[in-house]
Amino acid sequence: MTEASSSATAGEVRSLRWSLSSMRRKVWLISGLVVLISLLGLLLSWLDPAIRAPLRPGLDFTGGTQIQLERRCDDSCYELKAIVVSDVIRAMELPQQEGQPLPNLGAPRVQLLDGGQSLLLRLPTLSAAQGQAVIQAVEPVAGPFLSGGQSVDTIGPSLGKQLLRSSLISLLVAFSGIAAYISFRYDRRYAFLALVALAHDVAIVCGVFAWLGVVVHLEVDSLFAVSLLTIAGYSVNDTVVVFDRIRERSKDAADLPLPLQVDQAVSATLTRTLYTSGTTLLPLLALVIFGGATLYWFAIALALGVVVGSWSSIALAPSLLTLWYRSGD
Amino acid sequence: MARYQGWFALVLALAIAAGMFLVRTPLELGLDLRGGSQLTVEVKPAGEITRVGSDEMEAVKAVLDRRVNGLGVAESILQTVGESQLVLQLPGEQDPTAAARVLGDTALLEFRAQKPDTEAEFRSLRQVRSQVEAILRLRADQIRRGETPAPLDLDQLKSTQETLGLEGQASSQEEQLRELLKKVDADLLTMLEPASLTGKQLVTAGRQPLQNNPNSWEVTLNFDVEGAEAFADLTKSIAGTDRLLAITLDDQLISAASVGQQFKSAGISGGAATISGNFSAETARELEVKLRGGSLPLPVEVIEVRTIGPTLGAENIRRSLVAALSGLALVAMFMVVAYRLPGAVAVMALSLYALFNLAVYALIPVTLTLPGIAGFILSIGMAVDANVLIFERIKDELRRGNTLIRSIDTGFSEAFSSIVDGHLTTLISCAALFFLGTGLVKGFAATLGIGVLLSLFTALTCTRTLLRFLMGYAGLRRASNFLPNRQLSSPTA
Repeated sequence: MTEASSSATAGEVRSLRWSLSSMRRKVWLISGLVVLISLLGLLLSWLDPAIRAPLRPGLDFTGGTQIQLERRCDDSCYELKAIVVSDVIRAMELPQQEGQPLPNLGAPRVQLLDGGQSLLLRLPTLSAAQGQAVIQAVEPVAGPFLSGGQSVDTIGPSLGKQLLRSSLISLLVAFSGIAAYISFRYDRRYAFLALVALAHDVAIVCGVFAWLGVVVHLEVDSLFAVSLLTIAGYSVNDTVVVFDRIRERSKDAADLPLPLQVDQAVSATLTRTLYTSGTTLLPLLALVIFGGATLYWFAIALALGVVVGSWSSIALAPSLLTLWYRSGD
Repeated sequence: MARYQGWFALVLALAIAAGMFLVRTPLELGLDLRGGSQLTVEVKPAGEITRVGSDEMEAVKAVLDRRVNGLGVAESILQTVGESQLVLQLPGEQDPTAAARVLGDTALLEFRAQKPDTEAEFRSLRQVRSQVEAILRLRADQIRRGETPAPLDLDQLKSTQETLGLEGQASSQEEQLRELLKKVDADLLTMLEPASLTGKQLVTAGRQPLQNNPNSWEVTLNFDVEGAEAFADLTKSIAGTDRLLAITLDDQLISAASVGQQFKSAGISGGAATISGNFSAETARELEVKLRGGSLPLPVEVIEVRTIGPTLGAENIRRSLVAALSGLALVAMFMVVAYRLPGAVAVMALSLYALFNLAVYALIPVTLTLPGIAGFILSIGMAVDANVLIFERIKDELRRGNTLIRSIDTGFSEAFSSIVDGHLTTLISCAALFFLGTGLVKGFAATLGIGVLLSLFTALTCTRTLLRFLMGYAGLRRASNFLPNRQLSSPTA
């Protein structure tokens, strides 16, 4: 570390490319507005009688059966109408399962994906035998199906609650673990600000998905919970690197005023933060384009998290740091 | 410089070992990539047991394990998840109906004698039962063939319901019939003595087709010594009377037979019995599997069933492979353009990183799932971050006019603390996800966590070693390989 200190004192930081302190009010205004819009989205979603939750919960959380079938058809794929399939399902009689009430098939949700190539059915919780019966019932109108191209997911309602609980618990544990680590390595102020940046990022990603849920009926699944946790880790990672530089500047250039130290540190890490976000976005972009329907929204959530995370670590967290020290003086 | 050649040899040896290991050990693929069925069952507390503990879980798992093995699906896996759940994976299985049936039943087999003076009533109830069952079977067949089920004789249904004291309020005819069946079963049970012999005393169970009708099967039973004695006593007590020997499974009558006069003196000895209750080959097999596995100490409920077709799995593999490779290629291009020689070195280090990752997946082994692959792809981004941090520092040092070798060393040591901090915070999230999450979440956390750990190693060791090794060649030891000349404050090295 002898080389490190000597070179840092000898060298001077390149001209400031990003004079944060002078723009911090703008930064706060932008972040504040976006967070406000996000919270509004969560609130609207909550008030929506069809959702009644901050985000529109998908099958993983509500429970039910989802059947996906790949159809064997070429040009005729477009001819099938979803309403025909739902009529068949409404009319069918399900085999009974011992000791269970018969599920109500009155309101099936039928979706045709990929220009009618695949058929997605959302139904109340069915037993394995009942699921097979549904597939057989829709085969005459929507078949023939590609053998081996089907997927059937049945999730009991209790499982959804457990998933929600375990996601929330792991998010909280991750938060406190990260806070403890930063308090230990830096100090409590840094930990607090890293968590503010983190909450900012998570709130915005949730907000965007709440709006998507209200406007285009997008549902969140367990993968969304995974993406939130990843964003949490990534956001802190991003912020920590900037904080690490600030700490280094405040040691090496202690005579400078704090806002200048922060500006220098942010400028010095700017390339790195942008490059890193860029290189993380590239594989995510590949996932969005090639990853297929399963991972599409997952990759979008992560990409959004990366962009917002960069913003909060370049702009929001360091500018809040200057505020903190000034009020502490 | 010799020190770096030692390291270089080590990295090279590790890479070769990882490559050879991967060729020999195929990666384990999850059901979403290879197709198959996954069932989750939840163990419910019952009776005196109000909380499901690890002892109960083990007992339940042992029983289910035996049943699953009886199903004969290759490579089936049964795992305990969380406090009260078990996950069964059946690779390649497209129709989990049979598995769901076999797993879900308690399978409590009981042998019970009929109470005295109930003969007439018992007989008529059994007649009703077989009639209702026949009607239900017929209707199920008709539905399966796509025909509309024949209308029921409503008067007869009504009178039967009245005799049994049922009100017939269920919504569909199908359900009315089911209700009737339930009531008959309950009434039948009241006419039986308590069980004197249960499935616990079974040594083994088998099945065979009936001699006179090969389409109908029976299930054979063999008792242990104690069970054989109990069976002999039981049969002796009702031999020669009109009272029947009833066999019930989960409180449902599956078979009842009379015992001949000739067993009056000693009962049926030898400890063997058969149940012939209208079984098809398949239902006989399911009963056999359940009886062999023994009865469950606690009731279970199937709460999740996921099935995915093999071609859909192959499609998932293809798509994520394309995504991973094109992601890597894009990152590689970016690194070479942005960082020149060290960028190329980083690409080499990243290739090693990908190789090491796959080798670790095969070694542990990690079952690769779709979210797992997503975790891997994301970890590539984090691995790149470490390299970017280092190279930016090296550039800073070069701009300050330091010599090349010194800049490289300083770059690594200066970047060290932020790399460690960044990686550790990600690792903390991964640990939380891995230990508290379930299923998909766990797979994602595993690959991302392994990726982050390996990224620490490759960035701090592989990149550095390769870079220092290349610096041994004078032709490469030029600052312009690191930075455009105009950004250098003074010519160095």
